[in-house]
Amino acid sequence: MQPILKVNLTTRETSPFTVPAEWERDYLGGASLAARLLYTSLTRDLDPFSPQSPLLFLTGPLTGSAGPAVGRFVVCGKSPATGLWAESNCGGFWGPELRFCGYDGVWITGRAEGPVYLSVTENRLEVRDAAHLWGLDTYEIQSKIKDELGQPRAHVMGIGPAGENGVLFANILCDHGRAAGRTGLGAVMGFKNLKAVAVQGRGKIPLFESEKYNMLRSAANHALKTDNLSRVLHELGTASGTDYFEYLGSMPKKYYHAGVFENAGKVSGATMAETILAGMSACHACVIACGRVVRLPEGTSEVSKDFGSLGERRKGPEYETLVGFGPNLLNDDLAAITRLGELCDRYGMDVISASNTIGLAFHLFEQGIISDKDTGGLALRWGDTGTVEQLIHLTARREGIGACLAEGSRRFGARFGAEDEAVQVNGLEVPYHDPRGVSGMALVYATSPRGACHNQSDYFFVDMGQADAELGLEFYERQGGAEKAANVARHQDWRTLCNSLVMCMLANVPAETVVGLINSACGLDWSVSDMLRAGERGWNLKRAINNRMGLTRANDKLPKALLEPYAEGGAAGYVPPLEEMLAAYYSARGWDPVTGRPSKEKLLDLGLDDVANDLWKL
Amino acid sequence: MTAIFPTPEWLEKLGEKLNADEQYARIAKNWEGDMLVVIEPGGPLKEQLLYYLDLWHGKCRRTAVLKDLSEAKPAFVLKATYDNIARIMKGELDPMQAMLTRKLQVQGSMAYMMRNVPTVLDFVRCCRDVTTNILS
Repeated sequence: MQPILKVNLTTRETSPFTVPAEWERDYLGGASLAARLLYTSLTRDLDPFSPQSPLLFLTGPLTGSAGPAVGRFVVCGKSPATGLWAESNCGGFWGPELRFCGYDGVWITGRAEGPVYLSVTENRLEVRDAAHLWGLDTYEIQSKIKDELGQPRAHVMGIGPAGENGVLFANILCDHGRAAGRTGLGAVMGFKNLKAVAVQGRGKIPLFESEKYNMLRSAANHALKTDNLSRVLHELGTASGTDYFEYLGSMPKKYYHAGVFENAGKVSGATMAETILAGMSACHACVIACGRVVRLPEGTSEVSKDFGSLGERRKGPEYETLVGFGPNLLNDDLAAITRLGELCDRYGMDVISASNTIGLAFHLFEQGIISDKDTGGLALRWGDTGTVEQLIHLTARREGIGACLAEGSRRFGARFGAEDEAVQVNGLEVPYHDPRGVSGMALVYATSPRGACHNQSDYFFVDMGQADAELGLEFYERQGGAEKAANVARHQDWRTLCNSLVMCMLANVPAETVVGLINSACGLDWSVSDMLRAGERGWNLKRAINNRMGLTRANDKLPKALLEPYAEGGAAGYVPPLEEMLAAYYSARGWDPVTGRPSKEKLLDLGLDDVANDLWKL
Repeated sequence: MTAIFPTPEWLEKLGEKLNADEQYARIAKNWEGDMLVVIEPGGPLKEQLLYYLDLWHGKCRRTAVLKDLSEAKPAFVLKATYDNIARIMKGELDPMQAMLTRKLQVQGSMAYMMRNVPTVLDFVRCCRDVTTNILS
């Protein structure tokens, strides 16, 4: 692989870092390799808001190769929201462009004295003043930086005002709305006074057997283009499943407290296609193009009318945005959802955590736990998109009630004596796939290394029937229990592998194809089981990092709301038997049920001898 | 009004069922689109079957067993192996799951399919209701 560019913002020293060959082989790249590289520096005492806190942007061995949905990168470190392992991956074009510069990653430490941004090309790295960019949103910095550098082809990844202001769910965005959304690393970037990183290169992606790889990736892309799920995603975007998820009862409504929302159909991906859709957008070389481009007709939503005219083409909402600012808040105004999503993107705030935390505020207001005295006079009424917009502004600026919302749902709930009401796990807000409708997500949320997360395993697809014989993934009833625990673990291993490539989870690429791509790109001779073992190694390493930072068995839990049955709807009457599922899961994983750590035997078996020594003092 | 799946008689009975079923008429009242179901050989089925249904506003205007794909240009073509179709008929495989997981190939607007989940599911209910037995 190509070197990683290390940058110390305090001293402005830079150096190329060569990854040891055995780590390259065992972890490939992306999040798993980042975990290996950051293992020793992520300690319990490390303050995410300190110069010592690392921020590692890493690509994978296939990034930029025009393979199936592999134009992604990941950013890793310690989360200020959870105090645990942080990773968040992102599409767009930034990752491939970084590799075209001859680097596979950028490893940031230290803290600049004042705002700066980095410009990376094939020939040089430049640390440039960004004082004039501070305060601009993530869309505005795109053109400003490209103009300033005289590089119209450059790709810019950076933070908005939320990251500057230390919002704990601030994210990092590139290419107008492509987000490394979760775990608040935008706030870490803001602490470091790093506004953005611009990249532009022309180099070639190193491939061990390029001819063979290109044949395989061409066939894989062709197959992907004709795949049903790809076609659905192309036609309707990631919100394509909304109608079906509503039927299954797996789409949360009213902050996870309503089984049915009669207007759910008004905000589906199909409705978007029939009303405001103006085109599609794709990440680098992706044949699916799930991104939505919409045009809001005159006379629609008044939300956020301070940016852009209604007739402009703009990013349309993906599934999490659509549900988070839609049914989650009992809002059926598609235009308003579009603009609320864009507002979060511009401020640089994760849409899941933002909409979830706002949902909690609405819920607590309805319960009488908070009142207009707490909200600065705002009455929080379900479906009132104007109030939601005000809360987003306040949060990004940390003003009034926004200062509490900016801390995320766990701290917001605790502030008002209602932490149990927050729908989060370990400080990360739960995404919009309700485990009462698709029970595998109960285990996924409870055991994910970064808090409640659907990108460590999109098991809801398996619960909907996406079994896979090549991977040994079986189908179990969607509202089942402990019998699916080993299956969930296996799926997590598979997705951990995907997150090391870094491959988009929306791409339905057969496992044998992925093995072929890895082998021809990296010069390996792996089988599917080797691939799953690499995933398992990465999963256990992240778990061990969290154990070292204080995570125990007691952290593997679900919030109260997800363990209460709905009275109606597609998921009515069912709650996942979490404790039984966890017991079976621990057994399948080879984890110690008392401490919550991977067993010594498991770690040694995976070649993690140093980690075994740290956790179990060999 | 029942028959053995996948006989031609079954297709005829399905057409009658769709035209007589009040629930289907209500749920599918906005459906517009004919479809060709292509059942690939497998198990007891030795040759490909082409079953055509003209579905319109909660009714079935015509059914036909076709000999060749060129005989119709329907809005939707649904294609699956006999095994997977049989699993849908037995209730072992949800039809929406089948569509999203490559077990049931769809040509035509997926947007329309996703928009009309209740109609798709009720159509399959009618298919199951007219089935006395499944060829095995």
